Amino acid sequence: MLAKSLDVVGSEFRVGYRMQKSWGMSMATAFFFGEAGAGLYFVSQFYDLAAGMLLGLLMVIFGKGGGHLLHLGKPSRGWRAFTRVGSSWISRGLWAITLFAAFGALHLLDLQTGLLPRPLSALAAGVAVAGCLVIMVYQGFAMSHSSSITLWSSGLMPLASLTYALLNGVMLTLVIGHDALATSHPEALPMLRMAAVGLVLYGFVMVLSLVHSAKYGSGGGRKSVELLLRGAFSGYFLPVVLVLGFVVSGTMLAFAAKDLATMILVAGCELTGYYAFRVLMFKAGTYDPVLSFAPKFKP
Amino acid sequence: MAKMGMVFDLKACIGCNACVVACKQENSLPDGVFFTRTLSYEHGTYPNTRRTYIPTICNQCEDAPCEKVCPSGATFTREDGIVMVDRDKCIGCSSCAVACPYDMRTMLDKDMFEKGLFGTGELTPFEKQGYERFTPGTSVKCDFCSQRVDAGLDPACVSTCPTNARIFGDLDDPNSAPSKLIRDRDGRQPLPEKGTKPKVYYVD
Ligand code: SF4
Ligand code: SF4
Repeated sequence: MLAKSLDVVGSEFRVGYRMQKSWGMSMATAFFFGEAGAGLYFVSQFYDLAAGMLLGLLMVIFGKGGGHLLHLGKPSRGWRAFTRVGSSWISRGLWAITLFAAFGALHLLDLQTGLLPRPLSALAAGVAVAGCLVIMVYQGFAMSHSSSITLWSSGLMPLASLTYALLNGVMLTLVIGHDALATSHPEALPMLRMAAVGLVLYGFVMVLSLVHSAKYGSGGGRKSVELLLRGAFSGYFLPVVLVLGFVVSGTMLAFAAKDLATMILVAGCELTGYYAFRVLMFKAGTYDPVLSFAPKFKP
Repeated sequence: MAKMGMVFDLKACIGCNACVVACKQENSLPDGVFFTRTLSYEHGTYPNTRRTYIPTICNQCEDAPCEKVCPSGATFTREDGIVMVDRDKCIGCSSCAVACPYDMRTMLDKDMFEKGLFGTGELTPFEKQGYERFTPGTSVKCDFCSQRVDAGLDPACVSTCPTNARIFGDLDDPNSAPSKLIRDRDGRQPLPEKGTKPKVYYVD
């Protein structure tokens, strides 16, 4: 009822839906590098693929870290974000990034030089993977705390983060480790391609489920879905997030040649779809109007 | 311990927005920043249509999501229940802005202070002295004019309202004006389903 009768309002003093504007491109870029880099590190470490682990680490440190620094109004005070780990997912995320950066670098050094004794070596590897896993999901938890932005507040959001992180990780490993894995773990490439097809399917259903839960969650959720499917963002959501990111990349994975050039193309399609997803989730975030206290006003 | 809160009487509000102007003046708010807004809402079906004015403000939530998500401890609740932002601690991450279900946070851009209220790039003496209380890049919101509350006064919007549509006081005191109104006229909180326990109520 409300979605039909209320409009999106900007700065006007009218009751209506308001678009969130606080998180934009720099946050989307940080989220992108976080979930792509951590996913790449996570998958690469199963095969001791140093190039993948190093690139994943650098993506998180510079891509994610850089995006966050650009976003902060007061970057020089960023260290203060360490202090509220008990209640804030942003704090928890910062700890995870720091631990991942420090222990991931130590683990990589250890892999190359055999620097650490065995128990310490295992500890460094374990802490790095734990940090990496938190980075793969916490962004979803941070978003799902926005209870009035129905598009974000779904319990599916952390799962979407994990799914995309794993998919990004598998796709990038298929590119970066294409030659090295063919020699060191020849069984890995077909397995990773199969995993990628499964994750593409799962991711596609996940994104549709997110949209579905928003549509039936609230008037604001319906507005967001309207913008994504029929409104201002439909020119990106349908062709880029769904078609390029899932349909094209999934079809190519399943039926095209398995050479490096094809894998680069598939990874390019998937990552483009994923970046568009991150940007559009922020752009289409809509606050519900403050009306539920007065049911008699509802049309 | 006091629990400061506010009641909006929708029957009394005439939408004059004097409260908005008083707030901007009291708090020296730069261009585009509002701590309170009185929204208009048209409802009903012709010929039985009505326009209602709905004042909005930070609800000083008892279970404030903006405080929970704040990673730096910049957002905190005073003993009297007013939710504050420490501008020296805020890192400008805007987590509070996306977590507030009522869209009551504003992030201060540098250019808000550079253009000035007249958009000429020159600041009036009023703006110059008023803007000293702000730090660009940080988050701001209504704090019930805490400086006035500390001096025993009502918030500026309450003092200014010509129809007494904003009633301020201690919700822990059963005999305070807002407590009586909430009790007698079935006061309701905004978006109670969000579990934030607002200290702002509406009566109609
Ligand atoms: S209304 Fe928003 S800004 Fe104010 S205390 Fe509640 S959550 Fe925080
Ligand atoms: S913008 Fe400032 S007040 Fe808001 S959550 Fe971040 S640090 Fe806390």
